[in-house]
Amino acid sequence: MSWSDIGTIAPIVIAVLVAAAVLIVDMAMPGRRDAILVTSLGGLGLVAVAILVQAGHSGSAFGAAYSLDNLTVFLDILFVVIAAMTIMFAGDYLEPRGLPLAEFAAVLIFAVTGGMLVAGSTDLLLLFVALELMVLPGYMLAGFARNDPYSTEGAIKYFLLGSFSSAILLFGLAYVWGITGTTRVDGVTAALATAVAHGSIQPGLAMGLAFMTAGVAFKMAAVPFHYWTPDAYQGSPTPVTAYLSVGPKIGAFAIALRLFVGALGPLKADWLPVIIVLAAATMTLGNLVAITQDNVKRMLAYSSIAHTGYILVGLAAYAGGQQSGISAILFYGAAYTFMNMGAFAVITALQRRPGVSSQISTFAGLGRRDPWLGALMALFLLSLTGIPPLAGFWAKAYVILAAVQAGGWLTALAVLAMVNAAAAAFYYLRVVVYMYMREPSEEAVPSRPGALFRVGLAMAGVGTLIFGLFPALVTAATNAASVFH
Amino acid sequence: MHLPILSLITLTPLIGAIVVAVLPSSNQGIIRRTALFFALVAWVLSLLLLAAYAFGPTGFQYQETTDWIPAFGIQYKVGIDGLSILMVVLTTTLSWISILASFGPIKDRVKGYMISFLILEVGMIGVFIALDLFLFYIFWEIVLVPMYLIIGIWGGANRIYATMKFVLYTLVGSLLMLVAILATAYAYQVGHGGSWAGAFDFQALAQFAATGHFSQNLQILAFLALFLAFAIKVPMFPFHTWLPDAHTEAPTAGSVILAGVLLKLGAYGLIRFAVPLYPYAAHTFAWPIIVLSVIAIVYGAIVSIVQTDLKRLVAYSSVSHMGFVTLGIFVFNATAFQGAVLQMVNHGLITGGLFLLVGVIYERTHDRTIARMGGVASIMPVYATIFGFFILASAGLPGLSGFVGEFLVFVGSFGMAPGIAAASIIVMVLAATYLLWMFQRVAFGPLSDFLAGLGSHLTDMNRTELITLLPLAVLIVVLGLFPSLVLDLLRAPAQAFLTAAAAVGR
Repeated sequence: MSWSDIGTIAPIVIAVLVAAAVLIVDMAMPGRRDAILVTSLGGLGLVAVAILVQAGHSGSAFGAAYSLDNLTVFLDILFVVIAAMTIMFAGDYLEPRGLPLAEFAAVLIFAVTGGMLVAGSTDLLLLFVALELMVLPGYMLAGFARNDPYSTEGAIKYFLLGSFSSAILLFGLAYVWGITGTTRVDGVTAALATAVAHGSIQPGLAMGLAFMTAGVAFKMAAVPFHYWTPDAYQGSPTPVTAYLSVGPKIGAFAIALRLFVGALGPLKADWLPVIIVLAAATMTLGNLVAITQDNVKRMLAYSSIAHTGYILVGLAAYAGGQQSGISAILFYGAAYTFMNMGAFAVITALQRRPGVSSQISTFAGLGRRDPWLGALMALFLLSLTGIPPLAGFWAKAYVILAAVQAGGWLTALAVLAMVNAAAAAFYYLRVVVYMYMREPSEEAVPSRPGALFRVGLAMAGVGTLIFGLFPALVTAATNAASVFH
Repeated sequence: MHLPILSLITLTPLIGAIVVAVLPSSNQGIIRRTALFFALVAWVLSLLLLAAYAFGPTGFQYQETTDWIPAFGIQYKVGIDGLSILMVVLTTTLSWISILASFGPIKDRVKGYMISFLILEVGMIGVFIALDLFLFYIFWEIVLVPMYLIIGIWGGANRIYATMKFVLYTLVGSLLMLVAILATAYAYQVGHGGSWAGAFDFQALAQFAATGHFSQNLQILAFLALFLAFAIKVPMFPFHTWLPDAHTEAPTAGSVILAGVLLKLGAYGLIRFAVPLYPYAAHTFAWPIIVLSVIAIVYGAIVSIVQTDLKRLVAYSSVSHMGFVTLGIFVFNATAFQGAVLQMVNHGLITGGLFLLVGVIYERTHDRTIARMGGVASIMPVYATIFGFFILASAGLPGLSGFVGEFLVFVGSFGMAPGIAAASIIVMVLAATYLLWMFQRVAFGPLSDFLAGLGSHLTDMNRTELITLLPLAVLIVVLGLFPSLVLDLLRAPAQAFLTAAAAVGR
């Protein structure tokens, strides 16, 4: 370890220090919410600065176990934005329920640190450790509402299935290590390329591939490994759900990029059919089940499964020979972050008063009761549907374009994705129907959210709009980040 | 650098929507008048454009091009030919009429309504002027959202079912169209050595198609996707089932725009994009489409006869009338083409007027059941006269514009398929049957008990209602007597369309 290694991972170091600082501030000044918010958000700002300073540079640390490249920078920024928005949304939700903000913020920042570490990992072992660092705090967050049985149930399911899938992933990594003799991504790539060139793929490698696919599919909530998602999403405190729906998902795709695209790139012809089937099953099942949901959180949970399916189309397009598939995945991740967190934020705003459910009836007449909140929710839902000119539209368009470019079976997959998107319109617009076309319910009278909350909501809204009107701003970054390894 | 008149026309309603958005929602009068003002400005601008338009040359005029997403060659590119300008003027005309016609009926959430309507106008104009496939697609989708809200919020009792059906039908078509557009652009990119420049540019793509560069497989698949999207919108049999529901539940002005402009988006898409870009596929599927068109013409008319609801009757008659449009497009000759486009304009004017008239009686009775009407002429003579005029126009009375369009389609298609043409012309008899029978039941005979029970509520048309209908009536007469006003505009587009459609074998 040298000082330059520390410099390379400076954003991660700072993030860990910020999380620690939040806890210390809470100890030194108990009950000072503002101090915690300043420390955590200010600290995340520092992390963002540290990441941006690195932008454009490349390098590696710890003997090439960690790489700094455009992909790392892009994902790191995304993680910081996710953390900052989650903290902004959480304050209004946690306080009325008597849940501690400091622990929440600290645990969240630790989780995001894991995500940032995943983004830069170019070593199979480090990848696994980083993954665990990302998901373990996630289990804690899911069960954050200690006295709520649903929260506990969701957290336990999430924990059990999550640990299970981690073990499976690790098992798969062990196979790869056993066969290639190295844990470094570039080493694995070289060994596999040689093996492919000689036509000597060992059966054990196929086993390893299967285990790794299953493990990663669990993390990204792809069908048939999605069973933990609805309960974990519905049971978790809503701001946590907002985080879980984007943070670990993007983390899982970061693993997919480093592992499948990076290390297992030479085998892409072998994992392509698997990804196609996974993508098709994931988006179709996710959408079909989402249609039947009456709870908006649960509906968005199934919808997030469906979006995993769309993102997988991008991965399949890469395996089909299109580099633009990677860029499409990254764009999708960024767009999805803003629109999905925004949607969950609106639910959070409605639930400021404890006891308000996330049933769809809560949304009845929202467009009239609170025009701004209603309009924003409509914006996020239309974007999730994929209506232009909003972020979600371009996300879908780029993925579809990459698939069409790859041709063959992927064209069929693109058609299936669009049929799915049309079906998805039903359940997204159903919420709009409740908001604008039904009379207000007595149940929920939204109280005006706090200033910080509104800043976060505005961020989500502006992001959804700007990504939609000027997608070229983002594609410049995603294109640069799509070339790594 | 000329004045960006097309952008100006498109932006005017958008600015109007923004202005309305910042007005206080309590003052409905100002909101209504502001919306009307901006719609009128867009209308005047479009008329000025029509006056300045050069009839002779082929190609697109008043083009504006700005790079939007250079990495994929996506541009903000707009321009008009004779077909586009007609559709734009039809849109701006019906838009202000619809907004004015909403002054009375819409009393709830006026602000949201007017914003929706103005944004709807932006989308509709955009579709007709876009010369970049991506831009076209975006405007196409923008149309969807306000219409969804207009039907869903201000519609009738069964509005939510109707609006969801409308949206889902449309989205299935349009999302598949997106795949087809991307596949087409990619084929162009591959054909140009991997450069995206011009890949979404309609003119470049049309040029590429004209020289036979799109493979037959691509043409077949992409054409089917575009055809599905457009056929749903037209709507062609058997994709028409959303239409009666949407029309019946929409507020009056929503029905007017739906029939007057939204259905034209589909026909316009077929003419502008589906046929010129995929001529081989267009010819391959021409016969099935002609058969579907005739089925729509006959089926729509027969089903209209048995309708008991005024709006539903007019809605089904739209299926029949729009069948002439698709028939005229796919027989591929100049006369039928001109007839088809004229029929698009006529249908917009006549059916728009009929929906306004149904709205007038609905405002007073809150009922649209034909059986409960009767003897309206004795109490509302002005109304009955105008209603009768539009009925005759819709039935294709010579001297009014409805006749000319259908007649040209008939003449044009006779050479290619006499049997088909004959079958479709018989429908003009059916049309007279259902329209005149409906008119007789509503207007003549003794005053029905239901209407008599309304007493003094049943007043004749007021001034606002007259103002909305008279321009349409005047246009119907003028175009009936001087169809060459429109046909001259269409000579160049017809030639371009046929040239593009003929590029099959190369």
